[in-house]
Amino acid sequence: MTEPCPRCGVPVSGDKCPRCGVLVALYRVAMDKLRQGPVAAPARSPWPARPPTPAAGRDGVVERRRLVFHGSAGGLFGIQAVNVLFTLLTLGVFYFWGKTRVRAYLLGGTELEGDRLAYHGTGMELLVGFAKGVAVLFVPVALLTIVPQVYGVPDAVTSALSGMLSLLGLVLVPLAMVGARRYRLSRSSWRGIRFSFRGPAREFVGIFVVGSILTALTLGFYYPVFVTRQQAFMISHSYFGSGRFDFDGRGRELLGPFLLMVLLFLPTLGLSWFWFSARRQRFFTAHTRFGATRFRSTVTGGRLAWLTLSNVAAIVLTLGLAWPWTVVRGVRFAFRYLTLQGPLDLADVRQEAQAASATGEGLAGLLDADFGVS
Amino acid sequence: MWPAHYLDGRTPVRQAARVTIGPSGLEITLADGGASLRWPLAQVRQTQGFREGEQVRLERGGDLAEALLIDDVAFLSALRAAAPGAARAFHDPRRRRLRASLAGLAALVAVVLGAVLYTWGIPALAGIAAARVPVAWEVALGETAIAQLAPPARRCADPARQQRLDEITGALVATLPQPSYPFRVTVVDQPMVNAFATPGGFIVVFRGLLDRTASAEELAGVLAHEIQHVLHRDATRAILRQASTGILLAALLGDVSGVLAFGVDSARTLGDLRHSRAAEHEADHDGMRMLHAAAVDPEGMLTFFRGMQELEGTTPAAVRYLSTHPPAADRLQALAVLAAQRARPPVKLLAGYDWAEVKRICAR
Repeated sequence: MTEPCPRCGVPVSGDKCPRCGVLVALYRVAMDKLRQGPVAAPARSPWPARPPTPAAGRDGVVERRRLVFHGSAGGLFGIQAVNVLFTLLTLGVFYFWGKTRVRAYLLGGTELEGDRLAYHGTGMELLVGFAKGVAVLFVPVALLTIVPQVYGVPDAVTSALSGMLSLLGLVLVPLAMVGARRYRLSRSSWRGIRFSFRGPAREFVGIFVVGSILTALTLGFYYPVFVTRQQAFMISHSYFGSGRFDFDGRGRELLGPFLLMVLLFLPTLGLSWFWFSARRQRFFTAHTRFGATRFRSTVTGGRLAWLTLSNVAAIVLTLGLAWPWTVVRGVRFAFRYLTLQGPLDLADVRQEAQAASATGEGLAGLLDADFGVS
Repeated sequence: MWPAHYLDGRTPVRQAARVTIGPSGLEITLADGGASLRWPLAQVRQTQGFREGEQVRLERGGDLAEALLIDDVAFLSALRAAAPGAARAFHDPRRRRLRASLAGLAALVAVVLGAVLYTWGIPALAGIAAARVPVAWEVALGETAIAQLAPPARRCADPARQQRLDEITGALVATLPQPSYPFRVTVVDQPMVNAFATPGGFIVVFRGLLDRTASAEELAGVLAHEIQHVLHRDATRAILRQASTGILLAALLGDVSGVLAFGVDSARTLGDLRHSRAAEHEADHDGMRMLHAAAVDPEGMLTFFRGMQELEGTTPAAVRYLSTHPPAADRLQALAVLAAQRARPPVKLLAGYDWAEVKRICAR
């Protein structure tokens, strides 16, 4: 028996469409269900209970959702202990596998609406990415520094070359930031649907180079606009399946808090930086959207300062042994002050995974460019 | 029959399902619509649910797989019991306790191994590696360092006086069976009382130190000490040690970045100081022997270090402990013993020149 595929229309004889690969019966069931809208879970016992939805949008109350972390410091400690041992025994090669294990634990322990996130990266990908990153970084650096010295180039040429080197850094850092994000999102999923990042690297290099120069020329006062433009680029090119995230913040909103932070920096012995960081975090989060879902952060400077300072103290005092505890604490902290507000509309979201290599990730590791945009 | 959720890998719709473990695979019945699926066990892989707090996640298919999520970890035990042939592909929840103790053991071994590498392994490896670095590399490294540390604009280059200093260096180097490095002494116009040697035979003396010497013999003592550092390849070894300690600490501390930079740096500095104190003693010892061989009066070196000790008396004890040079009293005692072992009478250095005049190399 042949019937048209409900998704792409190609005649299907078995239960799987030869062109788009959907399972016809399941696709139809899913579409019917979506057409009917949300249905209350059947109360029969063999089915697992639906996760409770706090407040329904229909009642005029805003729906709220939170991310929940199920991992523990002890669990992460066990993972990291094995990672360190194997890294030492393999002269560092296991490092990439260890990193993957930690990410899988952190994402696998993160729950939204009853379902966990999942990490699909592998250590081999990171190792290859690292090797490529080394090639990308060290070949030009070696050409610009060692070769002129060996051949005794005049001083004027040497200084011109070192100028080129800093320009190269100005290009490589944004490339690494975009590459790392592209890789990490492409290897993360929720409910089987991959995240992805589709921002063109060239555009971000432009934002970064122009922003760095303007920040220098304005003695730092362009900084709030600069970080907001970076955040806008990173968020608005991020996807969950076919659904896109949006960012609608304008950097000038941060200018006032930034100036206040600068003025109070010395009188507060630098603590005003935490206040500004929290302000920036709330601003970035409040302007992020996914469909009808808005994000909201209630983090405050005092709490952020306490978290950061006590984590640093814990790591220094325990010579690094407290690292897993500080990581888990950081994740819990982030989730405690983050809510998703409004209906979570997934009806139009389809799987749309994107290919990504780990070269940018390797480059980011080398440049120590591990940036906390999420 | 196990309650589960099914994800088709194409839509973000989570479908309630029931799973039964059949002889050849998993039978999955979806709650809505009642469609049922059969997963042969050979095509099923487990990707989550190896640890406490994790959901059991089974996947089937390529990169964008279908997935089956089961909350009850006892499912794994049932699956392993029902299909002993495929059991190896799935995690055994009974081994979690064992794995936890193995992780604890791994932590212990890692700490011990790290400590052993830090204390003995890296210094030993750095020593072996440093001895094999070609002289030409050391010279190239020294040239780079000297261009940074003693920029040409700050050098005191009065040709006649420089020639006197080179004579002192020449007298010391002449005692070596075969001079392996092109030793060069550079005076830098800065008031600090210090001198150092880079790999490859470049010795930098600051004007402040030169001003404090009362005779050519005193400077000869300092130079003999620095020449020994070059011959022992102390700086080369320190560079190798620093780099490998950095890598070791990065491995031990994992992804910890900027936050820990401070702690890592102090650990490295403390380690360096421990090694540098031993290196200073050796440079003193062999430097004094060089003075004997060159028939230079060792009293010069002693007098100079006595002056240093007085200078040191003005710095607090805590700083003194961490200074790169060992307590001067120790050094003086050891040096005095060595100085007394002189075999032949000393010959005056730079006879016929006024030292006070020679050391004005930076005067304009």
